[in-house]
Amino acid sequence: MSESTVQSLSRGRTRALKNFLRQFLGHGGAQLGLLCLVLFLVMAAVPNILVGPLQTAINATGDFLASPSSQHLLGTDEVGRDVLNLVVHGARISLTIALLATVISLIVGTTVGMTAGYFGRWVDDWLMRLTDFFFVMPSFVLALVITPVVLEVMGRGGEILGFRPSLFVIIVVIGMTSWAFVARIVRSQTLSLRERTFIDRARVAGSSNLSIMVRHILPNLVPQIAANGALVVAGAIYVETSLSFLGLGDPLQPSWGTLLSLAQSAGAASAGAWWYLGAPGLCVLTVSLSFVLIGNALDDTFNPRRRVIP
Amino acid sequence: MPDTADFLRLEKLQVHFPIQGGLFDRVLGRPAGTVRAVDGIDLDVGRGEIVALVGESGSGKTTVGRVITKLAHPTGGRLLFEGHDMTSERGASALRPYRHRVQMIFQDAYQALNPRHTVFDIVAEPLRSLRLVKNDTQLAERVSEALASAGLNPPGDFFARFPHELSGGQRQRVVIAGALAVRPELIVADEPVSMLDVSIRSQILQVLVDLRDKHNMALLFITHDLPLAWLIADRIAVLYLGRLVEIGRADDITFNPRHPYTVALSNATPKVRVGVSHIDLPALEGEVPSAARIPKGCRFHPRCPMAIDRCRQEDPPAVEVGPQHMSACWRAGEVKARSELLGVARSSSVEPLERRLVSSLVKDRCRSSISAEAGVPDLPDPIRGP
Ligand SMILES: Nc1ncnc2c1ncn2[C@@H]1O[C@H](COP(=O)(O)OP(=O)(O)OP(=O)(O)O)[C@@H](O)[C@H]1O
Ligand code: SF4
Ligand SMILES: [Mg+2]
Repeated sequence: MSESTVQSLSRGRTRALKNFLRQFLGHGGAQLGLLCLVLFLVMAAVPNILVGPLQTAINATGDFLASPSSQHLLGTDEVGRDVLNLVVHGARISLTIALLATVISLIVGTTVGMTAGYFGRWVDDWLMRLTDFFFVMPSFVLALVITPVVLEVMGRGGEILGFRPSLFVIIVVIGMTSWAFVARIVRSQTLSLRERTFIDRARVAGSSNLSIMVRHILPNLVPQIAANGALVVAGAIYVETSLSFLGLGDPLQPSWGTLLSLAQSAGAASAGAWWYLGAPGLCVLTVSLSFVLIGNALDDTFNPRRRVIP
Repeated sequence: MPDTADFLRLEKLQVHFPIQGGLFDRVLGRPAGTVRAVDGIDLDVGRGEIVALVGESGSGKTTVGRVITKLAHPTGGRLLFEGHDMTSERGASALRPYRHRVQMIFQDAYQALNPRHTVFDIVAEPLRSLRLVKNDTQLAERVSEALASAGLNPPGDFFARFPHELSGGQRQRVVIAGALAVRPELIVADEPVSMLDVSIRSQILQVLVDLRDKHNMALLFITHDLPLAWLIADRIAVLYLGRLVEIGRADDITFNPRHPYTVALSNATPKVRVGVSHIDLPALEGEVPSAARIPKGCRFHPRCPMAIDRCRQEDPPAVEVGPQHMSACWRAGEVKARSELLGVARSSSVEPLERRLVSSLVKDRCRSSISAEAGVPDLPDPIRGP
């Protein structure tokens, strides 16, 4: 009895999942976005196989700021490192920063937004005040505040959870400044979900507030969280770039943002070294865009009614 | 007659909602007023009894049901269950024993089911939350049993379905199964059939009546349909603007109403037989006043064809007008004479199709009402019509 129950239950879930995947993968934007994303994920996974070990000023092989040639497909930087090599190695750092920051942002944003929307009243008032505070806080201001604290506590050479302090700061700062966006969306959705009759039914069934939030509200928030999560990743990649201009980047482990700021300070623009600025810039754009495409496709799949509106 | 004394009792129950005023009011700090959704109700429901709560839209029926199921908090009065004061009990864990015994069926079955849960999870939820089962085998048994009692056979076929894969009638059965699963002693059913096709109504009603017959379950049946209330209930309570205006045995309320509002309500139900003149009270005029502006005196007076000066000044108390029969009207005694000739009209006010479908119920009812009410002339055969 119970075995067949479990089987038929999982069959129902699998069917729902298959339906979802078929719709999602049939979406043109999703296909393009996923294709780009897979390329970058491969880069991030095995950079050494693709372009060899990360070049530094010591093992640099080329001329200074040489333009693209058959040896250096994307030219070289001001100390002779191969830009292709740097960009491929940068993928891992950039994606790690963006994804971890997004995870922080989604967890904090969903928890705060759902709690505020579900409990309402003073809980809502205070949590939304907090949210507004973080919503308007510019990420570089937060970075300026947090960096010295982290460096003081950890020391410049230390590692936090396997990250160098500067990377850690970037991840935390992006996470802290982007959750407010998620919290607002989650809250407004929770406000309307809370009024649905199935929440009343759950209450009559004896479910606690926590279990109502986790079992009833959260699953209905998944579409919003997924769609906006993709947008948060896109934003995080941009913010990482701008934070690198503050000097928060790590020259020894350059991300795309760090590369852009290095190119900027090396005068790549005035020297006409378009490849040095263009390569990391294009990567930032492509990855952000593919996450936006995926986010929109998720949104479309979850809200079939909105598909008719162009 | 079931023992009504110590099962469920509402005492002077009051639910007032504050009106959210505009910005102007809030700046001046003045309260925008209150909606008196429920305004002093006394009601008993006995073990195994079916009580129908009847009233127009906005009369506060749902709010009463939500107070009983602890979804709304009263602003006054008391809710007693077996003599225990449940008025201020809060919190899921404190309410667990109560939830185990009192369940609810919701009006809109589509809204009442979480679109992301399977039927199994939906029906299993109260069993899990209230910790009524020890293991998964037991859980599956109880869920199957509940689905089967609600008429979903074979139950296993429905376990893995999602609400959107069910018809409206099946959805309502799932809602009912969820309430049944815990084997409650009282179910509040808020218009359980109003959104359903006529052909499915009778089946659902049959499920509810069977519950009482088999498990001695009490039912508070909320409806705006007086004939339907008569079909299913032992007693009927008529609600107008948050107050009970009349309460009594189903047959008394239907064939021998003692409140002008009840008379008007039954006049408003469609008549199938032509030529049967109904009561000589004119039909209801005007709209139901808003629960935010309840008229002074008798709250029904602006629409009452029998209103006198006293009605505009003094609120009539509920007075006994017969055995187990109360009416809150200054002129309750006079309503009787006028409505006596109405038996035929009343009895045929049930739509024939519906009547045919609930024929077994109707036959029972008709028989008992004939024997009980000597004043009512022969009733037409419910199946073949007059
Ligand atoms: N949460 C609330 N806040 C403010 N007013 C409310 C609230 N719930 C109900 N009301 C008001 O209380 C009154 C009674 O509502 P209720 O839903 O109990 O009526 P009802 O008899 O169930 O009507 P219907 O037949 O339309 O379901 C209405 O005027 C309604 O607007
Ligand atoms: S008290 Fe007066 S107004 Fe109210 S119902 Fe009776 S007759 Fe009508
Ligand atoms: Mg209602």
